Amino acid sequence: MDRYQFEDAISAYLENELSLSERQAFDTYMNANPDAKELVDAIRLTMKSMKNLPVIKTSDNFILNLSKRIEFEKNRPSKKIVKRPSKSLFGFTPLYAGLMTVLVASFITVGINLWPINEESVDIAPTFMGNISEAPKPASMLPTLPADSKTMLTAANVDTADSTIDKKKKYKLDDKVKFVKDQH
Amino acid sequence: MNQLSPNLSMQPLAMDNQFRYTDEELIARFQEGDEQAYTELVNRYRDKLITFVYRFVNEFEKAEDIVQDTMFKLYTHKHYYRNIAKFSTWIYTIAGNLAKTELRKRGTRKEIRISQMGPEDRDYELPSVAPDTDEVAQSEYIEKKIQAAIQKLPLHFRTVTILRDIQELSYEEISKIVNVPLGTVKSRINRARIQLRKELIDLK
Repeated sequence: MDRYQFEDAISAYLENELSLSERQAFDTYMNANPDAKELVDAIRLTMKSMKNLPVIKTSDNFILNLSKRIEFEKNRPSKKIVKRPSKSLFGFTPLYAGLMTVLVASFITVGINLWPINEESVDIAPTFMGNISEAPKPASMLPTLPADSKTMLTAANVDTADSTIDKKKKYKLDDKVKFVKDQH
Repeated sequence: MNQLSPNLSMQPLAMDNQFRYTDEELIARFQEGDEQAYTELVNRYRDKLITFVYRFVNEFEKAEDIVQDTMFKLYTHKHYYRNIAKFSTWIYTIAGNLAKTELRKRGTRKEIRISQMGPEDRDYELPSVAPDTDEVAQSEYIEKKIQAAIQKLPLHFRTVTILRDIQELSYEEISKIVNVPLGTVKSRINRARIQLRKELIDLK
């Protein structure tokens, strides 16, 4: 045991918290160093003196002043006295939780309304794979469209999945609908 | 007998009740509205707390104000006590925090540390010669010497050594009050004792 270990163990020694082997090592060090024994005895005396310090008493007016203060607070318009703390939702009081919910909902609504939905406005330049140095081809060499291409293109532009297209069909209901009244 | 308000009777509970209820039972009763339980708690703790606070701030009037504030807080914030800790831990924590706040205020008002003062500036006066005839005077002398030595300790040493060596609280309870690990508390108390011994070298 060195001096640092000895000093660290003084309180534990005085309060009987050392193990048997630690206590023996402490005693050995203390017996070999008279100043160490003197220090331990002095600390023991200090602890005893502190324990025997007189208990301080409150003044005679303590209770009276306290009760006056409590009465004053009870009768004050804005009372300091805290009622039972209200239940909390994730750490928020019900009021703040409600306000927070409204705030989050408003934020989401505004966010959805402001989100850009028209992605066609994004202009992407067409990629050109040919050689820019080539001379333009004459009109006669351009591929020709078939005669009914206009009709085909128009048909291709029709999206059958589009439910917005007016699909009104005229059904001929002649003699297919009979009113119940007529059966009588 | 002091003139008491009709609503808050400061009469202690009957003797049989005094020993029947623990602190935790009393605070539970007070939380349910029994003001006599509050009275009993005040009577149980006022002297313990003023001893602790006085040794800490070294000024009786200020110490009494702090204990008043502590008891008032107990009244107004009774529902903040949860039965997961000992009542004594809770009340000592409140008093300790108020005492530290007072010392901080005092520090901002007066920058000079007590250790930097000359002997003539100090609030307490030590007899130049230890009286050896009168026993009372001797014990007063020792008390003042110890009180002066405690004031020289850093705050984190001061708190734990008062709680341990004067208030005789357990290490575990002190650890909860000052909110530091148990090992740190033990180490601080040990160092504080060594430091106190250096200050009280002439104490026989």
